[in-house]
Amino acid sequence: MIAVLGLVVGVVAGLLVRPEVPAVVEPYLPIAVVAALDAVFGGLRAMLDGIFDDKVFVVSFLSNVVVAALIVFLGDKLGVGAQLSTGVVVVLGIRIFSNAAAIRRHIFRA
Amino acid sequence: MSADDKPEGPQSPRREELPAEVPAGEPEAPAPPARDQPRLTGRQRLVKGLWPPRVTRPQLIVALLLFVLGLGLAIQVRSNNDSSALRGARQEDLVRILDELDDRTERLEEEKRGLEEQRTGLENSSDQAEEARKQTVERERQLGILAGTVAAQGPGITLAIEDKKEAIEADMLLDAIQELRAAGAEAIQVNDVRVVASTHLSDAGGGGVRVDGRKVGAPYLFKVIGKPQDLEPALNIPGGVVQTLEKEQATVTVTRSEKIVVSALRPAKQPDYARSSSE
Repeated sequence: MIAVLGLVVGVVAGLLVRPEVPAVVEPYLPIAVVAALDAVFGGLRAMLDGIFDDKVFVVSFLSNVVVAALIVFLGDKLGVGAQLSTGVVVVLGIRIFSNAAAIRRHIFRA
Repeated sequence: MSADDKPEGPQSPRREELPAEVPAGEPEAPAPPARDQPRLTGRQRLVKGLWPPRVTRPQLIVALLLFVLGLGLAIQVRSNNDSSALRGARQEDLVRILDELDDRTERLEEEKRGLEEQRTGLENSSDQAEEARKQTVERERQLGILAGTVAAQGPGITLAIEDKKEAIEADMLLDAIQELRAAGAEAIQVNDVRVVASTHLSDAGGGGVRVDGRKVGAPYLFKVIGKPQDLEPALNIPGGVVQTLEKEQATVTVTRSEKIVVSALRPAKQPDYARSSSE
């Protein structure tokens, strides 16, 4: 419950406060958000499986974000930033879908 | 957990070892019940996690991370929505857009320069045309004064000749006119006839003089525009016009005036043969 509240508060804060994102971080923000979403779906699935561990969740969340940003950064340096970020989004999207499928099976038994 | 939580089957060895970890990770969580009922369904676990709300370390940590996620999500969505498409654009796209804008600016600058040149040219030519028109008007006025087609005014003198004995002849008046011209008269009128370059005088029968074919009788009144200080002495010099006329018993009066109006006009006559030549 607290976790859901955290998400809601975050969204509201982002919409209300309108913080200025530093220009250095800006290109990595969308891909980091997608990576974090993947981590959250994975965590939700693990919780439904009964194997949720907060330490693992924290580490996976942070490492997902960092690795995604790193890949985009590397892609930008190599001149293939657009293609590489598309690739990252595709991979993360597939993972989100498979996790969502597992969650669905848990909740709806179908 | 998510990154490690690959969609492997429940047969994965990791999956077997992790449940044991969970109770260790959440000491405050209802670990004994979880151990008592290991076959708790996912739906029940979800409901239990949502309600009642428990302030536990995992919950707080997850809430913090989700807060960060929500923040990033909101920022990203907002920056995609409210600002221009440039905000989310990649570096190479921005460079391309910048190049295009530069090209466009250059092209527009060139166009602007051309149009400005054109405008300057047009302004110059219209200025020149206006100037030429002004000069033409001015010149027409000057020539009109000489040709007698327009009225003239300015300082000058009046010369009145009373001729009781009708002894004045055309050549005397012509002498007077010549004398006035030599003294710098610019416009001359005798009674109501304008005197111009082509004016001719002749004696009329029965006293009086014909000026340009029109009979002019005594008293003769000359209106002359010119420098009064030059005109008056020119008439009054010894043996000059005034003395000659007075010898004929005529009464001559010369009056200086600051404003003489020469209002008699002569119709402009188009020459039949002569044409203007630029050489």
